[in-house]
Amino acid sequence: MTITLTHYLILGAVLFALGVYGAITRRNAIGILMALELMFNAVNLTFVAAGRWQAAPDGVGQLFALFVIAAAAAESVLGLAIILAIYRRRLVVNADEMDLMKH
Amino acid sequence: MAEAILFYALAALTVISAVLVVTVKDVFHAALYLALTLFSLAAIYVTLGAYFLAAIQVLVYIGAIVVLAIFVINLTRTLTGSAVKLSRRWVIPTALVSALTACLIAVALIKSGMGTAMPALAPDDGTKLIGKQLLGRYVLPFELVSVLLLSALIAAIAIVGKDREEEK
Repeated sequence: MTITLTHYLILGAVLFALGVYGAITRRNAIGILMALELMFNAVNLTFVAAGRWQAAPDGVGQLFALFVIAAAAAESVLGLAIILAIYRRRLVVNADEMDLMKH
Repeated sequence: MAEAILFYALAALTVISAVLVVTVKDVFHAALYLALTLFSLAAIYVTLGAYFLAAIQVLVYIGAIVVLAIFVINLTRTLTGSAVKLSRRWVIPTALVSALTACLIAVALIKSGMGTAMPALAPDDGTKLIGKQLLGRYVLPFELVSVLLLSALIAAIAIVGKDREEEK
């Protein structure tokens, strides 16, 4: 019953797959962003778990997770700003109705 | 043994709340379940000895990103209520594809056998280690992240603020 690295990596894989499912099936753009956050977190979990199992831990796994969190924060702020701007102009929040650039 | 019980309990909580994030109808409820998922992930980080990252997870993800998402959800609520339907057409193929993706990664991991190693010993002080790396070898990415966050801030103001001026 020892918990190995594989356990954590499988949990990360399951979370990532759930994020993919949400990003494709959600129509609401905010829901898609939240599914993206799930995927970011799956990657973070993989980084941290892999860093924990290093022969000589140097904190790089956690460091990269920190960078991912910062990038996710920037992504989320920009995504939500764009959603808000589109909503103000066209009153839509569903991604399949944002078809202004469709030819 | 206690370690295993803790891991399975937290993993079950994470996966169940993540499933609810992507399936529940109301996007506001999805945001609350996302907060629960992120919180249980922070607990998993604690079991991995990443205390600093767990604190950052709670502060940045739950304290900032989820709250921001809830703000935008409330700002974009239409008068007809939260009519957030999943696109039914794609549910079954997407579920199939993502389940197969998870199976593929899981089988590859189990076959590779890299997880057979016993858990490593607890590092002396992970936070000190991160601090040294962040201001030592990885100081350039650290500074670039601050530039990224600043540009995201300016871009967000430029995107959302422009509309208001045009209304006047």
